[in-house]
Amino acid sequence: MFQTGLQLATRMTRIGVYVCHCGLNIAGTVDVEKVAEYAKTLLDIVVAKHYTYMCSEPGQCMIQDDIKALKLDRIVIATCSPRMHEETFRKTVAEAGLNPYLLEIVNLREHVSWPHSEEPEKATEKAKALVRMGVARVKLLEPLEKRRVSIFKDVLVVGGGIAGIQASLDLANAGFKVYLVEKAPSIGGRMAQLDKTFPTLDCSACILTPRMVDVAKHPNVTLLTNSEVESVKGFVGNYEVAIVKKPRYVDGDKCVGCELCTKVCPVKVPDKFNERLGKTRAISIYSSHAVPKVATIDPDFCLRLKTKKKDVCGKCAQACEAKAINFEQQPETVQLKIGGVIIAVGSEVFDASRMPEYGYGRFPNVISNIEFERISDASGPTNGKILSPKTGQPPRTVVFVQCVGSRDKRFHEYCCRVGCMVSLKQAILVREKMGRDVNIYVCFNDLRSFGKGYEEFYRRARDLDINFVAGIPSDVRMASDGSLYFDVFERGTSKLLEMQSDMVVLANGLVPSSDITEINELFHASRSADGFLLEAHPKLRPLECSTAGIFLAGACQGPKDIPDTVAQASGAAAKAMDLLASGEIELEPLKAVVDEDLCSGCRVCESLCPFSAIEIKREAKIDEEKLRAEVIEAMCQGCGLCSAACPTGAIKIQQYSNKQVLAQVDAALTETKTKGGN
Amino acid sequence: MSLIDSMSMAKPNLKTRSKILAKLRGRDLVNCFQCIKCTSGCTALKLLELKPHEIEKLVNLGLVDELMSSDIIWTCVTCLKCVQRCPQKASPYHVIIALRNLAVEREAKIPEEFMKKVSQILETGLAESMQKVTTRKMETCDRESLKLPKLAGPKESFQAAFMKALEER
Repeated sequence: MFQTGLQLATRMTRIGVYVCHCGLNIAGTVDVEKVAEYAKTLLDIVVAKHYTYMCSEPGQCMIQDDIKALKLDRIVIATCSPRMHEETFRKTVAEAGLNPYLLEIVNLREHVSWPHSEEPEKATEKAKALVRMGVARVKLLEPLEKRRVSIFKDVLVVGGGIAGIQASLDLANAGFKVYLVEKAPSIGGRMAQLDKTFPTLDCSACILTPRMVDVAKHPNVTLLTNSEVESVKGFVGNYEVAIVKKPRYVDGDKCVGCELCTKVCPVKVPDKFNERLGKTRAISIYSSHAVPKVATIDPDFCLRLKTKKKDVCGKCAQACEAKAINFEQQPETVQLKIGGVIIAVGSEVFDASRMPEYGYGRFPNVISNIEFERISDASGPTNGKILSPKTGQPPRTVVFVQCVGSRDKRFHEYCCRVGCMVSLKQAILVREKMGRDVNIYVCFNDLRSFGKGYEEFYRRARDLDINFVAGIPSDVRMASDGSLYFDVFERGTSKLLEMQSDMVVLANGLVPSSDITEINELFHASRSADGFLLEAHPKLRPLECSTAGIFLAGACQGPKDIPDTVAQASGAAAKAMDLLASGEIELEPLKAVVDEDLCSGCRVCESLCPFSAIEIKREAKIDEEKLRAEVIEAMCQGCGLCSAACPTGAIKIQQYSNKQVLAQVDAALTETKTKGGN
Repeated sequence: MSLIDSMSMAKPNLKTRSKILAKLRGRDLVNCFQCIKCTSGCTALKLLELKPHEIEKLVNLGLVDELMSSDIIWTCVTCLKCVQRCPQKASPYHVIIALRNLAVEREAKIPEEFMKKVSQILETGLAESMQKVTTRKMETCDRESLKLPKLAGPKESFQAAFMKALEER
C-alpha cells in the first residue's frame, strides 16, 4: 500500500513489450507467446505482443502504430543482440515521436535461444526474467540527445603500399586533403617487390609505378616518406597527430636522383629491397622505381655518420653536383590535424627459418617466395635470370613447397590466402623463362584457387606441364653440391617419392607486420586472435575498426592478394568520405557525466581513461584549490572504466547509472511467479 | 551405417573411436587434414610400410577394428618426428600408442617380441638385455669375463609399480 515517490512516478509510465520470433532463431527454443503473456502481467505494461520478424517493415509499423495509438512512452524489444538492431529500433521509435533512448533491447537470441537450445523450458524462464529486467530498467531511462561536433576533413593514410596509394588517390580525387605516411624511403610497399602478378601475369611494376607517381604528384596528397607516426591524440573527426620525418641526410628538394653518390660510396650494405640477396651502398636510392627518387644514407653503415668525425670519407658529398648531402640533418616533427585515419600498414612474410625441417637459412638453395620474386624481377640481383643462389647456375629442377608457416598450429593457424596462387605464378614464370627442359613440381596440401580467373590460372599451370605432388615433405636435406633432396609421400599414388631439386621455393605465408603492436597502441585499433587488425564486424563492417574514425585497408586486416587489397582500400576511402564529407559528426549520447559535488579530484578517472577524455580542472568559482574532473564530451566513448573506478561514485555513464543497473539486478532476483516487476 | 569399407566390408566402430579420442586428451586427431607430412618423414615407412596418415584417416573414419588386430601399429619406432612436424598437432604417434593400448586391453594379437620385452623389463629392469661383445681379436666377452660386477636385479618396489602401470593400461 505504501508507495515511495519514485515508484509513484514510474507508475505513470506506459510501456510496450515486443517479443521477436526471429524466424525460428528465437521461437524455435523460447515459447515467445508465453513470454509475451508473462510481460502483460508486469506493472505498467500497456501492451505486449510477439511477431515473426520485429525488424521487418510490418514489425516496425506495429510498434509505431502502438506508440501513437496507445500513447506508449517506453518500449522494450526482446529480440537479437543490440549490436545487430538497436540502431534500427531507435530509428523506429524516433519516427513515432518518442525519444530514441527510451528504448531497451533484451537479447533473447545470443543470450537465450542460441546457447540454451537444448533446454527450451528453462530458456523460456530465462527469457521471462530478462524481459522483467528490461522492463525494470526501461522505467528509469532518461531521454538523451545525440551530440554534434565539427570535425577536420583531412585524412591520414598510414602505409604507402598499394592499399595506402589507392585509398589516398580515391580520397584526393574526391577533394579531400591526404597525408600519406610511409616508413620506408619510398612508397610502393610489397607490391613494388613483385615481378609479375597473378592471374593475368601483368608486370607488377608496370601497373604500380604509374600509381606511385600519380599519388606523389597529386595536389591534394602530401607524401611523407621515411616517416613514422609518433603520437595520436583526440577522437573521431578531431585527431592531432605527430609524425616524425627521420633524417635522410640528403636534401630531398635538391637531390635529382642521379645516383652519382651511390657509385662512389665505399660501404657495401645488404639490399633490403632485394631481400638481402644483393648489395647496395650506404647511400642509395631505395629501388630503381623509387618514389620519391631521392637518395638516403643508412646511418648504421655510413662511415661519416658512424664515426661522427668530419674528416672521414664524405665521398658522396664531393660527388654530389646538386650539393644535396647534409650530414647534419635532424629528425623533424610534423603536427597534423586530421579527421580520419586509414591504416594500411600491410603484412610481412613468414620467417621460414623458424621451421628447421626445411633448412631455410642453412641451405642457400632453399629460398622464400618473396626472394624468388626478386630473383625473377628484371631489376633484381640477377637481372631477372632464375639462378640458384649457391652455384649461380640455372636450376634443372625447381620444387615449390606450400603452406610454410600457414595452416600450422605451431606458427599461424590461418590460411595465407596467397601462397597457392603465388607458387602457381612462380612455377609458370620458371616455365616461361627456362623452357621445357626444367622440371617443376609443386608439393601441395590443398590447392586453393578461389578468386576470379584463379582456377583458369591453375589450369594454365597444368597445361604448362607443371607437376603437382599431393604431399608435403617432412625434411629437406642438402647434398655436398648444394642441391637438395627429400622424401614426399604422394597421396594420389600412395608412393614414397624421393625428390632431388636444385632449388626449393617455400610458399611462406603472410604474417602481421612487426609495427602492428605500435599501431594497436597508437590508434586503439584492436587485433584479432591471428594478430592482424580486427574489423568492427566480420561481414557488415569489414572496412573499419571498432574505434570510430579508424579505417582498415589491405593486408593489415588479414592476408590478402592485390585485387582484394585494392578493393578494400577503395572501400575504406569511401567510408572515410562518408564520415567526413559533411564537416560534422553525430556522437552517441552514452557518455560519462560528473557530479560536481561528489567529485574529490582524486584523478583516478584521468589516469584510467583510454581515450584521454577526462581533464582535471580547478574549481574557480568556489574554492581555488579544489580539483574537479571534467569530461570532454566529444572524446568520451562511454566505456565506463571511470565510472567503475570512481571512489565517490561521482562519475556515471548516461543510460548505465547505478540506479538503472540496480533496478535490473533487483528484477533479476525477483521470482518469476510473483506478479510485478519491482 | 553411413559408410562401409567395400574391400573388407568393415563398418565404423564409433565407440572405439571415441575411446581413442578420449585417450588422446587434446591432441586433436580430428584436425588431421592429410597433408601427409608425417608419412613423408616416417622412419618406419621404408622398411615396415607404416603410413601414419592412413592410420589417422582410418581412425577418423572409425575403421579401427581391423587396425587394432593388424601388425602395422606395432611397427612405429617412436622416433617422434611426426609429433614435432605435424602442422595440426594431430600427431599420429599418440594415435598409434592409443591403438596399441586398446589392442592390449582387448587381448588382441600382440607381436611376441613386445611381450618378451615386457617380461624382460619386469625380470631384469633393463630395456636391452645384457649382450656378449666380440672384440677385434674375435674374442667373445661378457660382464663376467671382463670382471665387471654383477648387476643387481630390479627392486621389488619397481616390479610392483611396473605391474600396477601395466594393469592400469
